[in-house]
Amino acid sequence: MTISEPISEVDIEVSINGRTRRHRVPARLLLSDYIRDTVGLTGTHLGCEHGYCGACTVIVDGDAVRSCLMLAVQADGAEVRTVEDLAPAGSDCLSPMQQAFHDNHALQCGFCTAGFLMTLDSVDPAEWSEPERVVELLSGNLCRCTGYQNIVTAVTEAWSAYDGSGGSNDG
Amino acid sequence: MKPAPFDYCRPSTVTEALEALSSAESSRVLAGGQSLVPAMNFRLTDVSLLVDINRIEGLASVDCDPGGVTVGAAATQTQVLDHDGAASVVSGLRAALRHVGHLQIRNRGTVCGSLAHADPAAELPALAVASDAVIAVSGPDGERRIDAADFFIGAFWTALDDGELITEVRFPAEPPGSMTIVDEISRRAGDFAVAGLVATVEAEGGAVRGARLVGFGLGGVPTRLEAAEAAIRDWAPDHPADTLAEAVMADTADAFDDIHATSWYRREAVAALTVRAARRALAAEEAA
Repeated sequence: MTISEPISEVDIEVSINGRTRRHRVPARLLLSDYIRDTVGLTGTHLGCEHGYCGACTVIVDGDAVRSCLMLAVQADGAEVRTVEDLAPAGSDCLSPMQQAFHDNHALQCGFCTAGFLMTLDSVDPAEWSEPERVVELLSGNLCRCTGYQNIVTAVTEAWSAYDGSGGSNDG
Repeated sequence: MKPAPFDYCRPSTVTEALEALSSAESSRVLAGGQSLVPAMNFRLTDVSLLVDINRIEGLASVDCDPGGVTVGAAATQTQVLDHDGAASVVSGLRAALRHVGHLQIRNRGTVCGSLAHADPAAELPALAVASDAVIAVSGPDGERRIDAADFFIGAFWTALDDGELITEVRFPAEPPGSMTIVDEISRRAGDFAVAGLVATVEAEGGAVRGARLVGFGLGGVPTRLEAAEAAIRDWAPDHPADTLAEAVMADTADAFDDIHATSWYRREAVAALTVRAARRALAAEEAA
């Protein structure tokens, strides 16, 4: 939708984890703050707030993006997915990737984990499962606890179960 | 770190966007926002009106033909990186974009936005200069086309005037029989380069026939390495690497110092990258 005249507050409609949300937001509100403070989904973490650390990674219309480098108003009409959408709804189970992180001690403090999981969830494992590609993919997410080895092990384990049938990885 | 308050608009045509840009004192174009938004979060950039060009029809296109690749102002870096047709006409696009940021950055960041931002350590401005790209600009006084060699004036400073908007950039096809290598020294994959090189190399019969060499991260703007372009002609692996490296050192005498590296280190790095690029191009020619 066009907004011809400059305005400081904008009405937006965003699908977040399949649920449509409508809010009037300040133009300057970052998508990350919208998700956390306006919508109340605090699984998305804010580390550096200038696009360096990757902790705030969410999926917008299928693509992993840094939610601190996008305005909420830019997500108007978009489909956003956050870490809260990964585990099967209404169950106590984790997603296969979350379970692999748990099993391999791929997190310690957990602050960066949501960002890693959303980056991983956004891509097709068929294109990214080679070990050097995994490292390249994860280069945009910083972890200060694990030293990355256990994260790479978890990803390798989760994706080794991948059957190669194509399509996005919902696990 | 949040941006200071500003007004926002989302025009549907270039004409509307230009009107909006002229309507406010410190208006800025929002394309991918991967450099602008951090600058706003840091309050390094004073913006009173943000003009979001992402919903302007036709601006996100990537068109290729045998003569070159045209990238619209709202086309993302991922769009271009994944475009097989674009990579076959201008191999430098894929080679450069592999070094740009990370997946999450490239999913939002635009090719034209990187040119407009004109970071001295960025790959795409150097590729634009190396490939004689032409940047199409619309403004209050109409349209104009600017050669990449004239577009970059200094660090974060371009030939764009107030109220002007890049609409597209045209990368001409690479010469037949050539390949473009983009190589750099950086602390971490995807991070800004300490120094780097774009080399479009024509190799034939085991020797380099000619090359266009442009360094980045050396000064405010991409640095054309003219002495090295002369020295690399007819270079073959059994020739001494020193003459080529010395030519690069002569071309880069003005390279700057900062906390990341000394001028000397940057020059040595680009000299080494130049020799490496020549060897790689020759190896690729032999394998083909």
